[in-house]
Amino acid sequence: MTGFRDRTAVVGVGYTPFSKDSGVSTLTLAVQAVLAALDDAGLTVEDVDGLATHRVGDSTPPWVVAPALGVPEVTWYLDQFGGGSVSHGVVAQAAMAVASGAARTVVCYRAINARSEFRMGGTGRAPAPVFDAQYQAPYGHFAPPQQFAMAARAHMNAYGTTHEQFGRVAVTQRANAAKNPRALKRDPITLDDYLASRWIAEPLRLLDCCLETDGACAVVVTSRERARDLRAAPVLISGAAWGGGDSYFSGAGSGAGGRTDLTVTEAARMAPRLYASAGVGPADIDVAELYDCFTYSVVVQLEDYGFCAKGEGGPFVESGATAPGGALPVNTHGGFLSEGYVHGVNHIAEAVAQLRGTAGNRQVSGAEVALSTAQPGFVLAGTSALILRRDA
Amino acid sequence: MSLDGRPRPGEDRDSAPWWKAVREHELLVQECGDCGRPRFPARAVCNRCRSLAWTWRRSRGTGRVYSWVVNHRAFLPGLADEVPYTVVLVRLDEGAEHDDDLLFYGDLVDFDAAELREGLPVEAVFTDVPGEPATTLVRWRPRR
Ligand SMILES: [Zn+2]
Repeated sequence: MTGFRDRTAVVGVGYTPFSKDSGVSTLTLAVQAVLAALDDAGLTVEDVDGLATHRVGDSTPPWVVAPALGVPEVTWYLDQFGGGSVSHGVVAQAAMAVASGAARTVVCYRAINARSEFRMGGTGRAPAPVFDAQYQAPYGHFAPPQQFAMAARAHMNAYGTTHEQFGRVAVTQRANAAKNPRALKRDPITLDDYLASRWIAEPLRLLDCCLETDGACAVVVTSRERARDLRAAPVLISGAAWGGGDSYFSGAGSGAGGRTDLTVTEAARMAPRLYASAGVGPADIDVAELYDCFTYSVVVQLEDYGFCAKGEGGPFVESGATAPGGALPVNTHGGFLSEGYVHGVNHIAEAVAQLRGTAGNRQVSGAEVALSTAQPGFVLAGTSALILRRDA
Repeated sequence: MSLDGRPRPGEDRDSAPWWKAVREHELLVQECGDCGRPRFPARAVCNRCRSLAWTWRRSRGTGRVYSWVVNHRAFLPGLADEVPYTVVLVRLDEGAEHDDDLLFYGDLVDFDAAELREGLPVEAVFTDVPGEPATTLVRWRPRR
């Protein structure tokens, strides 16, 4: 899929403050983030003709946000059902809408009170009414930390991945967050702090889990030509891909046959399409913002996006490769573990800052190509990702 | 510890006969009417040969532990008196015999946590759960 390679750009990013209790509605959060992103781009509501979001019954849709803002005319919108796995696909679809002429300027936002109103971690919330849940929920198994813990245990069994390796992900990202004024958690932690944190769903501890966060984040997508007339250095949407298929029950669905392997995510099958869409490979990626709902998801994506061999994600992290100055700095803003969790969009926003060269003292020097990824495909067995690059 | 606080299965039109059999202490899987492959959970089509023909078949109910989680917090208030509780993912032997997978989430009875390892042989047992509505759960115990 190369039809819209480099034809569109992210020209603005906007945030609300992140907190445990925003005290406001998701509509208010959405409006604040959209206006901030437009301001960053040097655009106004009058320039907007597209709005897009993803949600799981926990937020405010585009057809409420648009009239609230007084958008003159919406020519394209997307109200995508789904969690983190669809986050990057929303921005990719906005790029397709712009490339096709369905819209000129689309704002993609995610607004969520994930701590004060709708806790994602499954604390008191009833299991989702999906096909799989009836076979899991009666055993008390339905929340994301449990689902990722099951895969993490399988990875430890298969490859000898260690708690300390998961801990290195948490420690490294917290050090990154210390350099990010927006981050909710900025106090450094040590590996001992990590190992002393309490079990949630063993083998995952509290410090393996992302922050449930109230907040919103938005990005503005328009054409490359238009982007060149705007104030910030354009960041091109160079490639994108979606993937989906297997469930974790039977049949290794997609024709591959044989055993279901919990240690491989849908991202492994998607990654070659993603790289081909942008005409690059793993060696070309200067910085990666990898969906870190849990530390384990970083380890497995390092493998599945081809930065190291299957089973080597733990040692790769342990080598320091993902830390600042390493071969592949990862989650430079602190990620969902330490900056905050806006369901995927704050990863895209950080990638944009890195490619603009505006990431301050957490800047990866000379960053030209970035990978930003969605939830790699456990919970609803789908995923999506973007490759962004600085306009030459 | 009681199981009364467990969420009840939200069965659907495909799975209703499967849950009915569980309440009668039978573990069923579907068998493709054309290629013979077993499948679980219940659904209308074989994802290998795309046949819509199938029958229910009684499973031997033996399998091996693939992975597991030990939950140290109650993810729902009704589970509070079960913490810490273990959830296992069991690979049914009959799936493996067909180069395929029949995976079941469940919990363990009559086991010592120290025994838990990948490949642990287990067999299905059934526990009736009273309450509203009453249900039955498939659970697993080490096979010796
Ligand atoms: Zn068949």
